[in-house]
Amino acid sequence: MSTGPILSVEGLMKTFHLGFLGALPFLGRLAASLQVKGVAQRVEAVRGISFAVEPGEVFGLVGPNGAGKTTTIKMLMGLIRPSGGSGTVLGHPLGHRAARNRLGYLPEQPYFYEYLKPREFLDFYGGLFPMTARERRARAEKLIDRVGLRHAVDRPIRRFSKGMVQRIGIAQALINDPDLVVLDEPMSGLDPIGRKEVRDLVLELRGQGKTVFFSSHILQDVEQLCDRVAIIARGRIHVAGKLSELLVDEDHPVEIVATEVPEAARAFVEAMCDRVAVAHGATRFHLRSVKDRDAAVAHLVQSGARLTALTSQRRSLEDLFVEQAGRA
Amino acid sequence: MRQIIVIAVNTFREAVRNRIFTSLIIFSILMMLLTLAVSSASLNEEVRLMKDIGLFLTSTFSALICIFVGVNLVYKEIERKTIYTILPKPIHRWQFLLGKYLGTAATMSVQVVVMGLVLAGLFHTMNEPFGLVMVQALWLVFIEVLVVGSVALFFSSFSTPFLSGMLTLGIFVVGRFSDTLANLRLRPQSPADDPETLERISAVVRAMSAVLPDLGKYNVTPNVVYDKFLSGEVVLWSTVEGVTYAALLLILASFLLSRRDFV
Repeated sequence: MSTGPILSVEGLMKTFHLGFLGALPFLGRLAASLQVKGVAQRVEAVRGISFAVEPGEVFGLVGPNGAGKTTTIKMLMGLIRPSGGSGTVLGHPLGHRAARNRLGYLPEQPYFYEYLKPREFLDFYGGLFPMTARERRARAEKLIDRVGLRHAVDRPIRRFSKGMVQRIGIAQALINDPDLVVLDEPMSGLDPIGRKEVRDLVLELRGQGKTVFFSSHILQDVEQLCDRVAIIARGRIHVAGKLSELLVDEDHPVEIVATEVPEAARAFVEAMCDRVAVAHGATRFHLRSVKDRDAAVAHLVQSGARLTALTSQRRSLEDLFVEQAGRA
Repeated sequence: MRQIIVIAVNTFREAVRNRIFTSLIIFSILMMLLTLAVSSASLNEEVRLMKDIGLFLTSTFSALICIFVGVNLVYKEIERKTIYTILPKPIHRWQFLLGKYLGTAATMSVQVVVMGLVLAGLFHTMNEPFGLVMVQALWLVFIEVLVVGSVALFFSSFSTPFLSGMLTLGIFVVGRFSDTLANLRLRPQSPADDPETLERISAVVRAMSAVLPDLGKYNVTPNVVYDKFLSGEVVLWSTVEGVTYAALLLILASFLLSRRDFV
């Protein structure tokens, strides 16, 4: 097995031609070059993005609505032809059939054949892979248990709740025991319990050594799950890397809460603060920088003040996201 | 090959579980039973009328149901986004399309067989033998349906169901008169008519009839009415021609689908 990235793209681009012929890119390009009315309009959905996903990691593609997340994923899945750039999935060019054997995919807000029951449904998707009937059956039973749909095996999908549809969708993405699982907004529209179930599943997949690539705009989930993220906005990746590195802020603020603070100590620490607030007998010092933390704490303790809380105002993914999306 | 069968079986399963499809079959059976009432009202002509109307209804309803099923085949998959979960699997787009087509063909074979059985029942009530020529006629109805289905699927691969339906219906109607159109020679009816313009129109219509399927050859009602057997050669060549036409359209549809973006 290759030791390089399991998924990588270099300068990937997609320009859509609007209008009747827009779905057929070659006709859209022709019509656009001839300035045919109605199809000459172009939308640059993805503008030359590059990133790589390493085996065994959970990678999050984060961005606001319309940023190009789904278009990027559809190019990775071979559903949309890139207008430019290149990429590989599991060592094969984008859309290559051999890669799709080891790939699992759940689209955003999926719809399925609603007349099928879970076993029929999973058997249908399993039938698209080189799996024997026995393998398909065994895998389907295992997945039905794993996604918690045992109670609904005799029910057609049309009678499933949204969360159940999402779960059976995840099951179909895993039917071939894939090495790479691509999930497009898997938590979208789910209640807190549903979101937790999907989170647990992603963590379980990582535990099994699978690579998970998913898009989301629910930052809390991304922060909890991802090893690395890329922030995409208006078709461009603005920042990419390990979360632990991206969220490091050498100069982040700190809050110290203390009681019984002598006036001299208060004046000393106040000089390091943006603001100081007193409420219910407690003084809240909002230190400008983490660099002053140790000195402030030492001075307060020596002065006889009682420390009740010390909170590091660490940069969140949301801060980073808003900052990067705002620049786009 | 297995992927094609999996898609075909699923397409067939979807159609037979679709209440609209079942309703259409029941409706066509009821219409067929009506022919019994109509034909029994005509003196000495009841058998001829029953064969005539029975075959007309079988072929027309089968074609209309096929258009209904066919125009939705690819469009519905895109509209409902089910195609997004299928094409990322290790399957070629042409395999998907062929599977959908074969599933529809299997569905339509059920329709033709059911209509044939109803006709056979009606024949039985009139003590009329259900001869070989009737089987040949039903077989050709099925081939016609295969051609119409391929036209519907072709349009469905890049157009909306309504537009695809209208275009396929148009080709179905024109195709029924393909023989007449192939020999069209418009003559001036008044001094105001320009012979050159009429000839140009005739040439365009003749050229169109060369491209459009000749569905008239699948209508062998006169043979059935007068119990004239069709030679095996005629049936075979009609079959080969129909299957070839359908195959060409499927290749074209596959090409369009392979170039398509699923946004």
